[in-house]
Amino acid sequence: MLETSIPKNSTVLAALLRADFTILWRNRRSLRLVLLLPLIILFSWKGLVDKLGGVFVLSSCITIGLTSIGLMGYTNSIARDRDRGIFQRLRVGPVSAWTIMTSRLLVQVAMILLMTILIFIGGYFVDHIQLSPAGYVAGLLLAMLGGAVYLGMGQAIVGRIKNPDTVNSTTRLVYFVFIMIGMFGEFGMLGEILGKIVVWSPYGVVRRVLASSLAPATWTMENTYALLASVGYAAVFIVLGVKWFKWESK
Amino acid sequence: MNEQLSADASPILDVQHLNVSYGAFQAVREVSFSVYGGEIFGLLGPNGAGKTSTLSAVEGLLKPDTGTITVAGYDTRQKPLHARANMGVQLQATSFQPELTIAEIIRLFASIYGVNLDEASVKEKLAAINLEAAAGKKIAELSGGQQQRVSLIISTIHNPQLVLLDEPTTGLDPQSRRQLWERMEHFRNNGHAVLLTTHSMEEAEAVCDRIAIIDHGRIIAIDTPEALIDKHRHDPEVQKAVRKGKVTLEDVFIGLTGTAVRS
Repeated sequence: MLETSIPKNSTVLAALLRADFTILWRNRRSLRLVLLLPLIILFSWKGLVDKLGGVFVLSSCITIGLTSIGLMGYTNSIARDRDRGIFQRLRVGPVSAWTIMTSRLLVQVAMILLMTILIFIGGYFVDHIQLSPAGYVAGLLLAMLGGAVYLGMGQAIVGRIKNPDTVNSTTRLVYFVFIMIGMFGEFGMLGEILGKIVVWSPYGVVRRVLASSLAPATWTMENTYALLASVGYAAVFIVLGVKWFKWESK
Repeated sequence: MNEQLSADASPILDVQHLNVSYGAFQAVREVSFSVYGGEIFGLLGPNGAGKTSTLSAVEGLLKPDTGTITVAGYDTRQKPLHARANMGVQLQATSFQPELTIAEIIRLFASIYGVNLDEASVKEKLAAINLEAAAGKKIAELSGGQQQRVSLIISTIHNPQLVLLDEPTTGLDPQSRRQLWERMEHFRNNGHAVLLTTHSMEEAEAVCDRIAIIDHGRIIAIDTPEALIDKHRHDPEVQKAVRKGKVTLEDVFIGLTGTAVRS
């Protein structure tokens, strides 16, 4: 038997990352949509900063951005590429399956970082929201946790549903429900019971954890519960997403 | 079969007692066959006969219930990456990222297979298939035949011992199909093992050295096309299938697998 050399995982991952970032860049329209929506909300809420608080405004915008990235960006790109057979084409090569998904997730992590930093910059220069250095660092870290919740949720959706059009309509519906019910529920416009449900929903706990991380001095026990709930949501969604996921749509 | 192959040569692909099922449905039953270097081996069968399941098991895309598959001596379950590094796969659909250019796709897959390709080498590869002008184009901008040529270049970019081609000529015009046959023969003549699935009996007869006919998950015949025709030419079912006086491989195929249209 001839000795067969297998490319290193790092080489494969670097090649996949180069391709996935190129694809992200070529899909600039969807990139802009994902990044613009939270920024538009941030700028349009400028007049509400005094009333709602800068931390609330920033955390809401980041949560909306995370929802866009996790549900609209990641989920639909996975459903579309699975349907095209792109994953199967990669999997017949000497590639560990985890490198394919890791590359996709790293692109989303980069998007989350970019979106969060853009919101911090926009918040600082346009809405004049200033945080402590610890607030910025903690905000970035907990945006990653929030990202895990929504990427996990997206993974569960794309795991459960195979048809890319159905995935697309489902993510739009979930996105709309989260944003609308989440925002109006938190404003107390949907009644007390729905308001409480929203507070402990994936939208509510992520927003609360983010808000607390942006102002670490105000951290309370309730926020710790919200943090634990976020970790729990992320774990459940990821486990279900990985369990349900199939590499082909047939 | 090519003369390079001696009776005691080790097969490049060896499938033994393969069983694949989807829930209660058993798609592949006790399938065994070997493909040697310098040989084009055709896997023929009606729709749903078990061809794609067999091929998917070889490619590592699905896990067989039982049985062993070795590629270049590597067990696909114990050493899946080593086995896959020794095979080049052309899937039914071209399945490449539509956002990337042809040059970018070639470089991506070259890296995945551990092959270093600079820009000049990519151009060289494309020139070999008369597509030097396509480097900056997207896959959707190419014709079906051009896409298949690119796909074949990518499948064999690492000079694999085993080339798996899943219905590669479907939808191609006669010129493109002939060109692809020549590529297959080129691989065979250079000692590669080629496993081909096809619905075209003309193609199987034209390029395959040996053929296995699979139906209801079982291999029901395995031999050279000529030997299969000779062996079955007097079968009553084959005689019923003959259309133009002379027994063809298609008549044998219909005789062995029946006339009922499969879904």
